[in-house]
Amino acid sequence: MKQRDEIVVLTDAVLITCIVQRGVADTVVDAATDAGAQGATIFYARGMGVRQKHLGVLGITVNAEKEVIYIVVPADHADHIFERVYVAAKLDTPGMGMIYMSPLDKMATYVPPEIAARFGHHG
Amino acid sequence: MTDPVLQPRLRYGEFLSAVRVKQRRVSYRDVHADAGKWSRARSLRLVDVHRLLTPYVSVRFLEQLRAVVPLALFLALFQIAALRADVREGELIAFGMLAVMLGLMLFMDGVKYGLMPFAESIGFNLPNRAAPAVVLGFAFLLGGIATFAEPAIGALRAAGGGVDPLRAPWLHLLLTRYPDRLVLAVGIGVGLAVVVGMLRFFFAWRMKTLVIATLLPCLALTTYAGLDPRLAPIIGLAWDCGAITTGPVTVPLVLALGIGVAAAAGQEDNPLAGFGIVTLASLFPAFAVILVGIGLVGEMPDPAALPSIVGAGGTAAWWDETPAAELVAALRAIVPLILLLWLVQRFLVGAAVKQRNIIAYGVVVAVLGMALFNLGLSVGLVPLGNQAGATVPAAFSAVGGGDALYPYPLGIGLTLVFAATLGYGATVAEPALNAMGTTVENLTDGAFPKRLLIQAVAVGVALGIALGVAKIVFAWSILPLLLGGYTLALVATAWSSEEYVALAWDSAGVTTGPVTVPLVLALGLGLGQAVGVAEGFGILAMASLGPIVSVLLVGFWIRRRAEVAARGES
Repeated sequence: MKQRDEIVVLTDAVLITCIVQRGVADTVVDAATDAGAQGATIFYARGMGVRQKHLGVLGITVNAEKEVIYIVVPADHADHIFERVYVAAKLDTPGMGMIYMSPLDKMATYVPPEIAARFGHHG
Repeated sequence: MTDPVLQPRLRYGEFLSAVRVKQRRVSYRDVHADAGKWSRARSLRLVDVHRLLTPYVSVRFLEQLRAVVPLALFLALFQIAALRADVREGELIAFGMLAVMLGLMLFMDGVKYGLMPFAESIGFNLPNRAAPAVVLGFAFLLGGIATFAEPAIGALRAAGGGVDPLRAPWLHLLLTRYPDRLVLAVGIGVGLAVVVGMLRFFFAWRMKTLVIATLLPCLALTTYAGLDPRLAPIIGLAWDCGAITTGPVTVPLVLALGIGVAAAAGQEDNPLAGFGIVTLASLFPAFAVILVGIGLVGEMPDPAALPSIVGAGGTAAWWDETPAAELVAALRAIVPLILLLWLVQRFLVGAAVKQRNIIAYGVVVAVLGMALFNLGLSVGLVPLGNQAGATVPAAFSAVGGGDALYPYPLGIGLTLVFAATLGYGATVAEPALNAMGTTVENLTDGAFPKRLLIQAVAVGVALGIALGVAKIVFAWSILPLLLGGYTLALVATAWSSEEYVALAWDSAGVTTGPVTVPLVLALGLGLGQAVGVAEGFGILAMASLGPIVSVLLVGFWIRRRAEVAARGES
């Protein structure tokens, strides 16, 4: 079997990370896929901070168990998806979580051969 | 291709971003510097409070709604459809049910935020920092005092009115004049049970031995009391108490401590650590209550000679009490518990308590919830159960002038089916049982599926409640039922393997939640009064005996099936 001498590496990718309370991830992923994202990865995590400091007794309504959602999107769509997720997850309320976006140097994954061929890659 | 210099290129995506998204860029450095100046919580917009509170409250309220409404509807509909009797004071009962749901919701949350942080911290730290004797002393106090805070214990206080003072004088005396003594006995029983449960960790006693060693004296004392006509009416109450004690306060508190002690005793994080204490906590109180009964009979040979107290029965005027009375009762139940936990945390564990405002919130909410629950108990749950119990005999006998609604055998059958359905439905809906089912399925590697456990327990409870109702309807003595049932359980225990013993005996305590207990208790008392027997206790006792036997038998069946399968393979 011939060893591949070339990997298709995608650039212009952006990582959107969204941290929300446990159980909200589905809303976030739905909003993101609606806006054009292809998929998402969800972690379970535990948060500390704002809850106790800024919400007082209302802090108990915020679950310290969190879900962290990774969504990799093309740079062009990033702002749009970012905004849609922000609205869907109601991130303008204290304690609901946060979202951030970071540029990715490169990413690689399965790229269908016929698409790769269009960009001059012959595997 | 034309000359690229003349055609400036703009990427469509960038154009879209610029047009669509309105973002204002602010440096986080500036915001951070500014944020340091905020001293306290910012004021929240109304919509923020709504977004924070609504999901939080609705999830918790729905949980209670699912536990309470089907049961209440079943009782009311059965009364209307099968017994053709209206539910009296329907609005008041509906209000009471609402109070029960709200109260339980608040109370559970209060326990979670006000009590559990203490219990976890103490359970984790105390076994390392204090002598075993101190730990055991604390366990005893905790078990006893937590019993006072158990919501269902209020039902006992409200139950005195349903007892015939002429035919069961000492029972009546105990419930109306000395309810504190009764609750104290139950508390001591639970406290001892917790201590013995802890000792089990230190000495690695087997559950089987422990059950047999506890059950034999209990049965002996019961037999002794049952043969004495003065004491016989107390037995039903005594065994019912066991079912009442193991509720949503005692179990998690004691488990938190138990897990800590088990870890300190060198047993690694054992998921079975909690098992056993619940069992003992339903046997010891029965023993203690019978002892109190014996003491009472010795102390007052002639209760009829005592001057009657004003408002004897103490239950005729539940709704005359102001909310203040409920609040005081709630404070009396919860404050000692908090005080004990706080003192131990402060002076024995010596760690400061974190997040005081959250704990204060928890305590306040727990007290409020308890008060609301007690209110709902006396205007909602107890009257509903009482009415259902009082109208059920109309199905098979001529009560209150009119003819029986149905021919005798059909009426009796209907009554028993009603009782069994009630037990089955209430058990299947019990969230604690669901949680236990998951644990058991994991522990037995799927040999005992969750559904099978729930079904086994539910059928056991259903049969138990039907048997208990039959006991009241036919005015059977409870002694042979208890002796027969527990002897069967004892034999099955001796034959069974260790894990099924722990499982079966604990399933008895899991099934009796804070809604089911008062309802069934009131049902029995109402039924007892309508049929004209001396006392209507014993249904709960039967309802906790049922699942023990049924789960043990299912355990046998599973083992046998495994053996047959193994033989078939070889």
